[in-house]
Amino acid sequence: MSGSEVIERPDTEAPIEGKEPIVRFEKISKSFGELDVLKEVDLDLYPGERVAIIGPSGSGKTTMARLLMTLEEPTDGYIEVDGRQLWHKEVNGELVKANEKHLHEVRGDIGMVFQHFHLFPHMTVLKNLMEAPIKVKGQTKAKAREEALAMLEKVGMVDFADQYPARLSGGQQQRVAIARALVMHPKVMLFDEPTSALDPETVGEVLEVIKEIAKDREMAMMLITHEMSFARDIADRIAFFDEGKIQEQGPPAKLLNNPETERLGEFLNRFGIDGNHG
Amino acid sequence: MVWDWKYALDILPGLLEVAPVTILATLGAFAVALILGLGLAFARRSTNRLLSGVTHAVVEFIRSTPPFVQLFFLFFVMPQFGVTMSALMTGILGLGIHYSTFLSEVYRAGIDSVEKGQWEAATALNFTPRQKWMRIILPQAIRPIIPVMGNYLITLFKETPMLLGITVVEMLSQAQIIGSQSFRYTEPVTLVGIFFLVLSYGASLLVKRLEIRLNVHR
Amino acid sequence: MKNLLSGAVPTIQLTLLGAALAFLLSFLGGFGRLSRFTAVRGVSGFIVEFFRGTSLLVQLFWLFYVLPFMGIRLESGMVGLLALGFNYGAYGSEVVRSAILSVPQGQHEAGISLNMTSLQRMRYIILPQAFRTMIPSFGNLLIELLKGTALVSLVTIPEMTFEALAMRTNDAQYTLEIFGWLLVIYFAISYPLTMLMRWTERRFSLGRL
Ligand SMILES: Nc1ncnc2c1ncn2[C@@H]1O[C@H](COP(=O)(O)OP(=O)(O)OP(=O)(O)O)[C@@H](O)[C@H]1O
Ligand SMILES: [Mg+2]
Repeated sequence: MSGSEVIERPDTEAPIEGKEPIVRFEKISKSFGELDVLKEVDLDLYPGERVAIIGPSGSGKTTMARLLMTLEEPTDGYIEVDGRQLWHKEVNGELVKANEKHLHEVRGDIGMVFQHFHLFPHMTVLKNLMEAPIKVKGQTKAKAREEALAMLEKVGMVDFADQYPARLSGGQQQRVAIARALVMHPKVMLFDEPTSALDPETVGEVLEVIKEIAKDREMAMMLITHEMSFARDIADRIAFFDEGKIQEQGPPAKLLNNPETERLGEFLNRFGIDGNHG
Repeated sequence: MVWDWKYALDILPGLLEVAPVTILATLGAFAVALILGLGLAFARRSTNRLLSGVTHAVVEFIRSTPPFVQLFFLFFVMPQFGVTMSALMTGILGLGIHYSTFLSEVYRAGIDSVEKGQWEAATALNFTPRQKWMRIILPQAIRPIIPVMGNYLITLFKETPMLLGITVVEMLSQAQIIGSQSFRYTEPVTLVGIFFLVLSYGASLLVKRLEIRLNVHR
Repeated sequence: MKNLLSGAVPTIQLTLLGAALAFLLSFLGGFGRLSRFTAVRGVSGFIVEFFRGTSLLVQLFWLFYVLPFMGIRLESGMVGLLALGFNYGAYGSEVVRSAILSVPQGQHEAGISLNMTSLQRMRYIILPQAFRTMIPSFGNLLIELLKGTALVSLVTIPEMTFEALAMRTNDAQYTLEIFGWLLVIYFAISYPLTMLMRWTERRFSLGRL
């Protein structure tokens, strides 16, 4: 791929005008002991927007997603989801640390697809999709089943509804995992390198599914990925992480073709994309 | 007063006097179990179907029935066939045989954990079967199972009180004797409990350490 | 032989009741040792190590000889049941604890990402998976418990081994037969239990692969 190539995009407009962000990271820092993984990062995601996160290994991409999914607690800073504080709660006009009940309320807006799928091995594919809607959202079995089947249809896995996950290929498992997150109807969906644990031949089918659901623009998507061409095809905006900070962000065409920072240029070179550094 | 410190201190020497019996029984039975267990493991691996089948059946039978009853069996029945040995020896043999069935499984797991390539390399270097076992396979098989063996040693230790059933005077039996003389059981039985707790818990900490060290030096 | 078989009834009763008590205590102890609260972890850890470390027979003797001095008089059957239940419950709590810890962290995280509460995660995601890992160990413990019931003959509970010892005092010439049959009957009880456990293991592992 050469830098001057013009990328064809089905819809280039990011539907963000006049909208409030659905997710807002404000001066987010995270340390593991001595190691400062994220350093006062700001990042906004708008409803329906698709943001790809790229960057070298260890730059803190996964940590960003895990903070938003409440799998990890920020050391400092704030995260806002649809106008509500995630890790904090207002008590008498002051922000205090949120309790589990508060997290439970806000977390319902967020969904996540993991690098290693994490399907529930003791449940069939269908059951994997029905469990949370029934138990967490209190849906009826019939309704949950109907929607689960529809979602499996969408990801092309309806024929496997009664199989157990261990029987499926990695790509198939990941498609089920995507459907499992979708049936919860999150407003923001996180993908943490959804294809990097897959055999090369099944990467394509998963990327296709993600592109398919991206078309709907029903939710904001945060895609952590090492697949540059995928990021370019799908994202409205790309953010480049390095050393715990966003070094550069912007539309794919701009960022991938004319990187401003030297670090990004070097990073892209390694993927065989030469931006005209300048 | 439920607990009498003076009395407890008075009887302590009498109790500790038989501690060597408990220790001897533990170590003796463990030695029997280690050696016999290895033999059973080999017998089960034998290509002779009959030998391996019979061994399997015997191992299943012994490990499914109470060692306490096996002790009585040896203690009462052996003399009928003209074999006489002291109660302690019978106890060591009985517990040793019982636990050899468990250790044979441990050996088997250890041997199975040695990679196939090691066998092939040993064959390629033209070692005799004996050399293959002694120099290549067993040293690798035994290392990872040392902690498991340690845990069986501790288990055996805690099983020795049952030897009192066949008249061996070990710690618990001694406590019972002391108790019956003074009609005070609280102190002797409790002291024996503490003796077992301290030694077995201490030993289990050692085994945990050992496990970590063996893993570190992989 | 007849007398032995009638002694088998209390042996089986003790095994089943002891197993029920031990099963209950296993979960209590296992969850206790995984508790968020340091105090709960400490106390349950101490109790578990205590019952694991002091030897079943010593515990039996303690309940049988010492408790009466404290004004607590238990029926001898109850003494046997308590000692067996607590001793094997302590071992069982280790089984529960390590099985729960063996479920990968990713399963917890998937549960969180679907907004399940910690109770729901435990109930629907973690325990069903941990339970499969527990079955073989629980099976082994059940056999150990059965073998342990022979020891309670020493505190005058008239179970099978007790009967055999009594019979031998009267008919010393049949020693071989008495103890031979005794072992066979124990095997006849434990082997079906082993089979049952293996069957359960297979049943519950259906669908995993
Ligand atoms: N729980 C943790 N404890 C200690 N250090 C951690 C923990 N999680 C992550 N780290 C460290 O934080 C840094 C950033 O990790 P992170 O997983 O966010 O990187 P990443 O950008 O996702 O990398 P990759 O592309 O390899 O997935 C790494 O150095 C990692 O070792
Ligand atoms: Mg990552």
